[in-house]
Amino acid sequence: MTLKNTLRKSFGEQQRFMLLLIAPAVTLLILFQAIPIFIGGSASFRDWMLTNPKKTWVGLAQYVSVLTDPAFLEIVLPNTFVFMFASVTVSLVLGMALALALNRPFRGQKLVQTILLLPLMVAPVIAAIMMRWMFNDQFGIVNVVLEALGGEARPWLVERWSAFAIIILTDCWLWTPWFALLLLAGLQSLPKSPFEAAAIDGTTPWRVFRYLTVPMLRPVIIVCIVIRSIDAFRTFDIVWALTGGGPARQTELFSLYAYEQAFVFLDFGKGSAAAIVGGLIILVVGLLLYRILDHVRKVSQ
Amino acid sequence: MNAPRRGFLDSLAPGARRAFFGLALAAVCFLFAFPVLWLMLTSLRPESGVYYVHKGLEFTLDSYKQVFSDERLVKAFINSGAIATLATFFSLLVTVSSGYMLSRFRGPIASTWFGVIYAMRCVPYITWVLPLYFVVQSYGVYDTYVGLLLPHIAVHICFFSWLMKGFFDGIDPSMEHAALIDGCTRWGAFYRVALPSAVPAISALAVLCWLFTWNEFLFAQILTGRNTPVITVVMSQFVSEMGLQWNLMSATAILALVPAFVLTLFGQKYVIQGLKI
Repeated sequence: MTLKNTLRKSFGEQQRFMLLLIAPAVTLLILFQAIPIFIGGSASFRDWMLTNPKKTWVGLAQYVSVLTDPAFLEIVLPNTFVFMFASVTVSLVLGMALALALNRPFRGQKLVQTILLLPLMVAPVIAAIMMRWMFNDQFGIVNVVLEALGGEARPWLVERWSAFAIIILTDCWLWTPWFALLLLAGLQSLPKSPFEAAAIDGTTPWRVFRYLTVPMLRPVIIVCIVIRSIDAFRTFDIVWALTGGGPARQTELFSLYAYEQAFVFLDFGKGSAAAIVGGLIILVVGLLLYRILDHVRKVSQ
Repeated sequence: MNAPRRGFLDSLAPGARRAFFGLALAAVCFLFAFPVLWLMLTSLRPESGVYYVHKGLEFTLDSYKQVFSDERLVKAFINSGAIATLATFFSLLVTVSSGYMLSRFRGPIASTWFGVIYAMRCVPYITWVLPLYFVVQSYGVYDTYVGLLLPHIAVHICFFSWLMKGFFDGIDPSMEHAALIDGCTRWGAFYRVALPSAVPAISALAVLCWLFTWNEFLFAQILTGRNTPVITVVMSQFVSEMGLQWNLMSATAILALVPAFVLTLFGQKYVIQGLKI
């Protein structure tokens, strides 16, 4: 009774209503986000094998072991950055081209738009399996077409760089429509008058694009790049389903590396440390990207 | 790079230029649709023809029949559908009220909650997905509906609350004030007055949430085992387990695509409408 009274005194009717509105969200957030983050953080300082969870405190040893792992430094990190850069750049350029093409009305536009939406509905795992089938070394359609054209069939997914290129290709297939849609929405909300003025002046399309469209779309482009880069950095499913990180762990990206440490090599401590290292890198990269792009925007204005 | 192309295009007659654009666009569409079309074609070939999909004209629905007779696959489809639907319902239930609170109220509670959401949103996915395995196990819900459902709801809280706040910000609160003055309770003002005007936005989020959960892989991979197969995980196991049965795999993939396709076709309007507010 007294507790209820003190509660009533310190929280007015409005405050109680506010707390009630967020209560379920807060509970779930604590149970399934805050606690895991805490456990992961704690595990990264411990000797925690899934087969032998001693959980003894080892300080920074797990971090040292991740940061001195040649596989992490020489393969996983470069792979992740190359993947992020290539995938985001290619999908941005293609998405921009498609958005510009769709910005003018033409016959069959609805159909084209629906076809371009297709990859957005496909689960990344399924997209990866599709590509795996198409690039199958014996029966895949790509090799069949290559041979028909007089080329030579290649074991695409068995060689490091071609496998890596296919991972990037799959990601671009999945995400170009996303760029195209957001950029198209951006294009359609731009004011018309500057473009009309440019048309009267007879400005070339390239100059209109370079000096009008891009500067005016810059906020949308920045948001797209930052969000997509962060997502690309942590890509897991398509690598898992396409190559499983192979050949010989040569196409691993950072999320797969952390997952493998924890659930394949059963070293949960090292896996957690790797996840946190990667997490910190994403945070810094995201902030830097935002700063750089924002700086470019200010300078260009 | 651009100069010669522009020159080339300028030298064409307007009609030819239009044809050129048309062809280019058709080619792009073909490339985008091809993987899905190829999958569909593969799924329709009989087992004997699956390695030579491009040769022969025999088609059959056998692979689909086989998928439907595989108990584990059927179970996976049902599980995925149930989890996506339930996750959508509960995510919205939880985030609509939280977004409403963020939009309508000021003060320490609101600003703290906003700060927490923002901070949580910045924590990268993988850092809390790995330990989730232990958390879910210690709650005793590993490999059950609940164990997959609750994290799925939790993952949407930050982003969706934030989006919903934006939607409610765009809705004039004066109607709710009027309702309160007329003797409506705060709850009444929320779900009788504010909620109906947010329906387009909520539908948009529902479509996105359903698609996201249906297509999700990493959570399911970590949090489910034998008892709760979901379609994305089963598909990824296919690659190693049934590595050579590409017709079966394609049929499953096409079936997994259909609900997402239908939902997007019908939901497209709401998504575009809802996200414009």
